[in-house]
Amino acid sequence: MAVAFWGSVCALLAGLGWWAVAARAQQAVSFSRDVLPVLSANCLKCHGDTQLSGLDLRSRAGMLKGGQNGPSVTPGNAEASRLYRRVAGKEKPSMPMDGKLSDAAVATLRSWINQGAAWEGAASVGGPAGASSLAALEEMEIPAEARQYWAFRKPLRPPVPRVKSRDWARHPIDAFLMQVFEQKGLTPAPAAGRATLARRAYLDLIGLPPSPEAVAAFVNDNSPDAWEKLIERLLASPQYGERWGRHWLDVARYADSSGFEHDRDRPTAWRYRDYVIQSFNKDTPYNAFIAEQLAGDELDWTNFDTKIATGFLRAGPRVEFREKDNPQYRFDYLDDMIAATSQGFLGLTVQCARCHNHKFDPIPQKDYYRLQSVFFGYVDVNHYLAPEAEAETFQSKLENIDARIRPLREQLAEIEGPARQRAFVAEAAHRFPEDAQIAVKTPEAQRTPGQQLLANQLFRAVGVPSGALDRQLSAEDRLIRNTLLAQIRELEKQRPAAPPAAIGVTDGDYRFAPDGPGDEPAPGKGIKRDASLQGSFLHKGDGAYAAPPSYFLIRGDAESRGSRMEPGFVTVATYGNPPAALPPSHGRTSGRRRALAAWIASPDNPLAARVMANRIWHHHFGRGIVATPNNFGKMGEAPTHPELLDWLATEFVARGWSVKQMHRLIMTSSAYRMASEFENAASQKADPENRLLWKFRMQRLDAEALRDTMLAVSGKLNREMGGPPVFPKVEPSVVATMKNGIWNIEEDGPKVWRRSVYVYRKRGMPFPMFEVFDLPDQNVSCGGRNVSTVPTQALTLLNNEFVLRQARSYAERVAGEAGPDAGEQAVRAYQVALGREPSESEKRLAVEFLGRQRQFHAARTAESAAPAAAPAAPARGVTEAHLAALADLTHVIYNLNEFVYIR
Amino acid sequence: MDCPGKKLDFISRRGFLFQASGGLSGVALAYLLNQEGLLAADPSCLPGAAAIDSPVAPRQPHFAPRAKAVISLFMSGGVSHMDTFDPKPDLDRHHGAPLEGKGEVVVRQGHPGPLMRTPFQFKKYGQSGIDVSEIFPHVAQKVDQIALIRSMYGRSNDHVLAHYELASGMIRMGFPSLGSWVSYGLGTENQNLPAYVVIYDARGGPFGGPANWSAGFMPAAFQGTILRAAGDPIIDLRPPGDLPPEQQRARLDLLAQLNDLDRRRYPGSSELAARISSYELAYRMQGCAPEAVDVGKEPQPVKKLYGLDNPVTAPFGHQCLMARRLVERGVRFVQLYHGGLGQQDTDTWDAHRNVKENHTQHAAEVDKPIAGLLEDLQRAGLLDSTLVIWQSEFGRMPISQRGVGRDHNPGAMTIWMAGAKIQGGQAIGASDEFGYKAAVEPHSVHDLHATILHLLGMDHTKLTYFFGGRHMRLTDVYGDPIRQIIA
Repeated sequence: MAVAFWGSVCALLAGLGWWAVAARAQQAVSFSRDVLPVLSANCLKCHGDTQLSGLDLRSRAGMLKGGQNGPSVTPGNAEASRLYRRVAGKEKPSMPMDGKLSDAAVATLRSWINQGAAWEGAASVGGPAGASSLAALEEMEIPAEARQYWAFRKPLRPPVPRVKSRDWARHPIDAFLMQVFEQKGLTPAPAAGRATLARRAYLDLIGLPPSPEAVAAFVNDNSPDAWEKLIERLLASPQYGERWGRHWLDVARYADSSGFEHDRDRPTAWRYRDYVIQSFNKDTPYNAFIAEQLAGDELDWTNFDTKIATGFLRAGPRVEFREKDNPQYRFDYLDDMIAATSQGFLGLTVQCARCHNHKFDPIPQKDYYRLQSVFFGYVDVNHYLAPEAEAETFQSKLENIDARIRPLREQLAEIEGPARQRAFVAEAAHRFPEDAQIAVKTPEAQRTPGQQLLANQLFRAVGVPSGALDRQLSAEDRLIRNTLLAQIRELEKQRPAAPPAAIGVTDGDYRFAPDGPGDEPAPGKGIKRDASLQGSFLHKGDGAYAAPPSYFLIRGDAESRGSRMEPGFVTVATYGNPPAALPPSHGRTSGRRRALAAWIASPDNPLAARVMANRIWHHHFGRGIVATPNNFGKMGEAPTHPELLDWLATEFVARGWSVKQMHRLIMTSSAYRMASEFENAASQKADPENRLLWKFRMQRLDAEALRDTMLAVSGKLNREMGGPPVFPKVEPSVVATMKNGIWNIEEDGPKVWRRSVYVYRKRGMPFPMFEVFDLPDQNVSCGGRNVSTVPTQALTLLNNEFVLRQARSYAERVAGEAGPDAGEQAVRAYQVALGREPSESEKRLAVEFLGRQRQFHAARTAESAAPAAAPAAPARGVTEAHLAALADLTHVIYNLNEFVYIR
Repeated sequence: MDCPGKKLDFISRRGFLFQASGGLSGVALAYLLNQEGLLAADPSCLPGAAAIDSPVAPRQPHFAPRAKAVISLFMSGGVSHMDTFDPKPDLDRHHGAPLEGKGEVVVRQGHPGPLMRTPFQFKKYGQSGIDVSEIFPHVAQKVDQIALIRSMYGRSNDHVLAHYELASGMIRMGFPSLGSWVSYGLGTENQNLPAYVVIYDARGGPFGGPANWSAGFMPAAFQGTILRAAGDPIIDLRPPGDLPPEQQRARLDLLAQLNDLDRRRYPGSSELAARISSYELAYRMQGCAPEAVDVGKEPQPVKKLYGLDNPVTAPFGHQCLMARRLVERGVRFVQLYHGGLGQQDTDTWDAHRNVKENHTQHAAEVDKPIAGLLEDLQRAGLLDSTLVIWQSEFGRMPISQRGVGRDHNPGAMTIWMAGAKIQGGQAIGASDEFGYKAAVEPHSVHDLHATILHLLGMDHTKLTYFFGGRHMRLTDVYGDPIRQIIA
């Protein structure tokens, strides 16, 4: 001890201000005068009568014994004492949990421990009574005015404002905008041209550009409802769900792999992705969409699709290795669910209240743990997509086989165990150092404790050469062993094929979860199991399911349990007294998640409709009325048009939570049809960022739409929908950064030229082309993507092989449609990619370029001794030099600003 | 050091500026003209001010920095501190006995074994007389320039989670890496090169893959860019095949002209102007990045210093020499990995099976290159302005696995720093008598990160990025700079 003490003092002497601390260390600290006041004021409310983490600091004995984490005080060595380390912030969680000790108080405790932690007076000192101190930690008063914050008041349908410019503002949305324009002196942009509008609507609603024919049809349609018809066509297109479903998948932090070290494939995750796409295509009412994702296993209308929908709760990253050894992982997964649910449906960052009351919003930590209680019954399951009887038969067959194999394996182990040790000594030990050899050869009873550890490791963890085991078995035992092995093999063959399945959740008891990877009760894994527990993984038989208990966790520390929690919601956003559980009649789940869904998807919930209406607005206009779609709290952006948001929210509910209805509503406004090409000095000055929407905002295509648009323009888009994901080609050196590769590199070709929503989402390795164009992090919910402009984007579009190949296909398409004339080709290339004809100057530049490039390529072809077999010319008179030159032009078009922007 | 970027100027440079820069602000225009002057004066890819619309334009730190650049040397797999930089004579005395009195011993694999002495000899080096293992003879010669921290500890005994902790301070994915925070805080000196580059082992990437250099919730501009030691250093840097440079120029000329026509319809849009100038930057990067990593023209003695003449040391030597060249050219943060996921046992420091064989091999691969890097940085006058960090994801156990290997131990590890005018020849903190836990002045990864930011002139409590309703920090709500390092 003395050595350690001097060691720490010496280390201190090396630092700044050593003299002050050294001086204090010299001075004797008095327990009653110096230490007790610090303990009483800061420590004993939790570690006195209430013994959080099992720690009682009211006596020296209690300090020495410590709590769940071991001794709290090592007299004479503050650096080794948890009490000191926690208050000094050297070990997490730092203490006290609701503040920080003064430097002087920390120094006092340090000196006192270093001086031997002498105790004076009564062996045990008093502390505040337990229940009340716990309550002081757990309870937070929500001030009455907190409910007055705009997002927590129920949206009331505001009257549509009366404005002067009735011509522009015939639509309610426009009236709300115009009201602000008139106040601020802003002039709205005129309507965009029809061709621009067609491209805008296509890219916005389906994420693909219109064909030149579609543009022409719309431009030439003189009927008064031409625009409405265009919208209807797009909403009816299956590609609509692929575009808008993708937006939701960002919110749902969807990926096809588990993340972390193993980043395992989730082979059925895509079913959730397809569910989302189909839900948008079917226009599933949003309130049902919420319920299905949170509680699809416990609804009145539960079916395969709704069970798949619970994949929402499973979509986050998971370690999936040695989960039982690391119970804190489960709390992280619960946090992931709470974060995705609260940000996704409520626009609230409830996850910020995991360790303390929310710092900015009136969300008590207790709300977090009441929400955690809602989810606490969750267990990961494969939902079988087969009739219940079939699934049950499969399950019982499986269990039956497992049950028959188990005793065979036990018998096998009995025979093999001692023989394996003998085989090790005889045929494997020589590879290890001498002390190891001695340890295994020493009879067990005579081994030193260290030798015992070594022998144990060697016997259990080292394999023996094949045949060695046989050589140690008697003939009789060999026969028995071979018979057992044959029986096991036979049973393994009888394992039934699993019906199709989807990953999801339901209620159960996680403490009885089957072993996952790394959880196998292999020798020495040290998994902590509570043998006294009774129960089962899934609730079976009679009676209602009861969720396992959950607790308030002080400072978010899984080891520091406070009171037991009952399910509940975000208090400040709750009106009336909604039920916290709606148990289904089958009794197998708690109905808590169903109750949560009912609370969220209710017209009384102030957030749900506003949040979704805002998301829809955000994607149409490139910026939400609230610019932070996942955060409606104080740290989010205030709404630019609060009345409009409320009007939209109430309209959304009134229209049966129909997302397609909202598209119709928004897109038929003048606001949506404004030009982005519009300058107005006064407006620019008053609102330089165009927050108030006086002109349409240009929006850069997101990563997926950019790739899809290139494919559509080249004519190579494979429109096949749904099913397992595809793996477009990735540079092998990138794949090499990931353990085990996992990315199945497929040939660049039609099979992978599917829409980008079907490209494999690997958490550990984002698809590089998407990543460079601001793919959001795939581990957390994303409400709005970053849009950055970096040189690597230019490099990708200039040099990436896929882009060049598509440019070539695009050229072949254009040549086939336009023939050999350079002018015709330029016009067609513009029509196909940009939905318009080139201007005179554009056309002149393109034609001149084609001329030069044709010469270049013709000369180059002539130079090469053996010209490559010319591909079939797409049209009469089109030479390879023409095609190569045109591919240079189409490549440039892929790089144009206009190409990558919605205008 | 002739940079091909100069020769491949497109349009006439001035012509481009006058056509395309109308959308840039006056400051940016002045910058571009200034850059042109710079390039005319010195035909190399010199650092310079950035266009103001670059997300990685140089930014002022909070206070005067000690270092401008960082070279981080990451030994993937878990280096045993007891066998390298933290000698434990008590292990010799208690060799073969159980580890007792330290609470429950949590191992990653199998059962705990008995205490095991190091198979290596330690010797005192330099004026400081610090003990270093025989497997680091070259680095040992530099010990008077090195500050060892022998009391680091981490939170996870899982390779990947521990990598993430060192990378981002968090043991979960989704958080920006240190290099991202530094690029976000300081931008970079040379817009012709990425701000933050990653060069990993030829045998494969480190545990955890690209999440180690991800920008997490920050924009993509702040993520690490992989530079490859062979072939084109950046993916998609140059067109495939044998496209003549003037052909690419022809396309870029047309692109610039068409984009310029378009931009005239949107005179107020800085977004469009930024995108136009990003092609200019990309074009320069095409010339400058290959030049920056081309070690071919380095003098023979320099190559030798890094061990390029020896197949054992050549791969990491190459990485280290690339790092010096990048820092010299103004790159802000260079992350090197040694140890890659081919065969975990033999290709990383993960010495479960045999610590003597494993660490002898890996130390030999990095020892000379690292010493060479320190020497060369000093020779080039860069050491004082460059922070070099040597680290691993965790230490290893003082107890053995099967008498020969060692298991993971996040409880204690040794990392070291050099350069940045740090006082060398000091050993900060200490692990316990066996090296099982950090004991004297324990330092968390948050402390380490706070220290690094401090050396770069940033207060870790003030470098924040707003996300998910919070002002996020690299150090979460923890961390204190290590006083002996920043003294």
